[in-house]
Amino acid sequence: MQRRAAQSAVMDAAPPALDYAGVRVLRGGVPTIDDVSLSIAAGQLVALTGASGAGKTTLLRLANRLVAADAGNVRLGGEDVATQAPAQLRRGIGYASQGVGLFPHWTVAENIAAVPGLLGWDAAARRAKVAEMLDLVELPRSFAERLPAQLSGGQASRVGLARALAAAPPLLLLDEPFGALDPETRAALGNRLEALHRERRFTALLVTHDLADALLRAERVVVMEAGRIVADATPAELVRSVHPAVRALVDAPLAQAQRLAALQARKAPA
Amino acid sequence: MNAQWARAFAMLPDRLAAHLGVSAAALALAMLVAVPLVLAMATRPRLRGPVLAVASVVQTIPALALLALFYPLLLLVSAATQRLAGFGVPALGLLPSLLALALYALLPLLRGGADGLASVPPETLDAADGIGMSRAQRLFQVELPIAAPIVMGGLRVAAVWTIGAATLATTVGQKSLGDLIFAGLQIEDWALVVTGCLASALLAIIVDAALGLAETGLAVRRWGKALLGLTLLAALTVGVVGWYWQGRAPQGSQRAVVVGAKNFGEQFILAALIADELKAQGQPVTIRSGLGSAVAFRALAAGDIDVYVDYSGTLWEAALSRKDSVPRARMLAELRTQLPAQHKVQVAAALGFENAYALAMRRADAERLGIRSLADLAARAPGLRLATDLEFQSRAEWAAIKAAYGLNFARLTAYTPTLMVRALKDGEADVITAFSSDGRIAADDLVLLTDPRGALPAYDALLLVGPRRPDLAGRLAGLEGRIAVEAMREANWQVDRDTDKQTPGQAAAWLARKVRLGAR
Repeated sequence: MQRRAAQSAVMDAAPPALDYAGVRVLRGGVPTIDDVSLSIAAGQLVALTGASGAGKTTLLRLANRLVAADAGNVRLGGEDVATQAPAQLRRGIGYASQGVGLFPHWTVAENIAAVPGLLGWDAAARRAKVAEMLDLVELPRSFAERLPAQLSGGQASRVGLARALAAAPPLLLLDEPFGALDPETRAALGNRLEALHRERRFTALLVTHDLADALLRAERVVVMEAGRIVADATPAELVRSVHPAVRALVDAPLAQAQRLAALQARKAPA
Repeated sequence: MNAQWARAFAMLPDRLAAHLGVSAAALALAMLVAVPLVLAMATRPRLRGPVLAVASVVQTIPALALLALFYPLLLLVSAATQRLAGFGVPALGLLPSLLALALYALLPLLRGGADGLASVPPETLDAADGIGMSRAQRLFQVELPIAAPIVMGGLRVAAVWTIGAATLATTVGQKSLGDLIFAGLQIEDWALVVTGCLASALLAIIVDAALGLAETGLAVRRWGKALLGLTLLAALTVGVVGWYWQGRAPQGSQRAVVVGAKNFGEQFILAALIADELKAQGQPVTIRSGLGSAVAFRALAAGDIDVYVDYSGTLWEAALSRKDSVPRARMLAELRTQLPAQHKVQVAAALGFENAYALAMRRADAERLGIRSLADLAARAPGLRLATDLEFQSRAEWAAIKAAYGLNFARLTAYTPTLMVRALKDGEADVITAFSSDGRIAADDLVLLTDPRGALPAYDALLLVGPRRPDLAGRLAGLEGRIAVEAMREANWQVDRDTDKQTPGQAAAWLARKVRLGAR
């Protein structure tokens, strides 16, 4: 407990890993991000959730300049992203999205080594990294020479995660990285991500529309609605929130879980 | 028959190399234009619609017309550069072919490029941006490799089209496999046509296959396959370059006289005859045959060719822009003074025969009905059937003789020339249109009806000399009045007939002996 307190004191002194201050993004004059301020400390795993069109993805893409802010600023380790060259900035941030977007003409190894390649690592270092990352995402090393077309959806997502982590970035942006997968595979990959985060303590912003996922995996959950943040709390606080939009989100999976539990209870005597 | 094939094969290497050369150059030029346009369309999708629309419009122009359009256009450009910078631009041959073929190749290249880049999945582009690729890295490492199969598809289509369309470059005076096809079609020498077509088709298939091998080889990293394809392409390129070197080296400082010919048998024979005559005088000579009728005179006036034969009625209308009808002698006299004045073109000689429109009948019919002239025909026309070629009924000649003689036939039918002759033979028609120097007139025993009221314009064969080599007029003046229409008919028949067919060169030699030219 003492060690934790000391650690958090150090963190408070350092600038936040990711910091949004009064950010606004307009699309056709309409704000899709409306005066958002949010500060994420180094090493936190923050889930960003909310209904479709609430602005989750846009908020995430502001961090690596895939979207530009119309007002306010976004700081990474204290430095405004708008002053940094986009390509250089992005090479220092891990990025994985729902579409995965593996390069279809590159092997698994080449895909995983994409960012190290951009950063100019030599071939031996890239090879070693590919082997390490395949182990990390629990894929056989023999997959290195496969092409993306020869992978299942879950395997492709694992490779996408490996590509995002390969250059050991301090910040990871994950936009529904496992959204297109079946529940079982999604759970497996979610567990893997959680374990990796415990192990490596990178800062991560995880966009997900699956509230149960957000509540169970993240240390902190941010809920968005219509371009604004409507809740920002620990999972335990969130489930007790009285905010109507939050309640609507939370109640659905809770009710589902309760019905499942009841079903199980009814079956038990038989 | 063997002589025909031998002649076709003898023509082949030269034309094949030229064909490949002009196709490759046009394709390279088209790619030079297409690549920046495709990249512009990739960054600015709004450009896509207009750019592809313009390329599509170009594609709707028939290739033959596109080639022909470039000739007057380049003449204008040449006149402008002449005035402004003191040098002209060649308007005939390689340049117009290159430009027209390149324009033609543009659409498949642009479409392949645009569709190829559009085929890259958006999530792949997002990933490329998201991991920190620069624009150039994204383009070269991600977009182009993924787009490659579709881009290469466009390139292959463009290559095949260009090789096919390059046969038409013959009509603007560019050497190509079209030389064999056009010459062969005109004199019905099927050995030439088949050789030209097969060579062109084979070339297209080989180039397409080579590009295909290179593409799939590179895509799936089968280097052997890729190497084979690339080697094939390289070999073709080396062949062309080697041919140009070898063709260029022996040429001395004196440029050869260029004898032109339009695209029919009589023109081929006369060009060969003129070439033989000049060679006998020690002049180096090349022949450019297959020129479009509209192109030939302008080519002479612009100095792209030096000498050719045209017909007084054609020149009267096309070169002097005259619509009035005048007697034969006066037309000739005016051409002799006006062509030098207006175009710096001299009439070196009137060869002595006409190739004019006329009406013809079977000799037996004409004698039975007592018809010798159009005036005689007028009285009998209501009981007779006239078969014409496809354009005659829309020509001024038809209006003129109808008006002059009051011709009124029982039936009027238009045919292609071959079917028209057949209709007369089969008794489907009694009177046909004919050209006065046509070899069939003697062979089929036809009678040409005379024109006592002078309604039909004269088409005297005139030997014209261009401004670049005025000395040729003196060298060729000896041909004045030497070729009687009967001799020309016989020579034309030698290359037109199906049995014992002669080449234009052989017919020219026969004609020269017949009219006792030179010491042969």
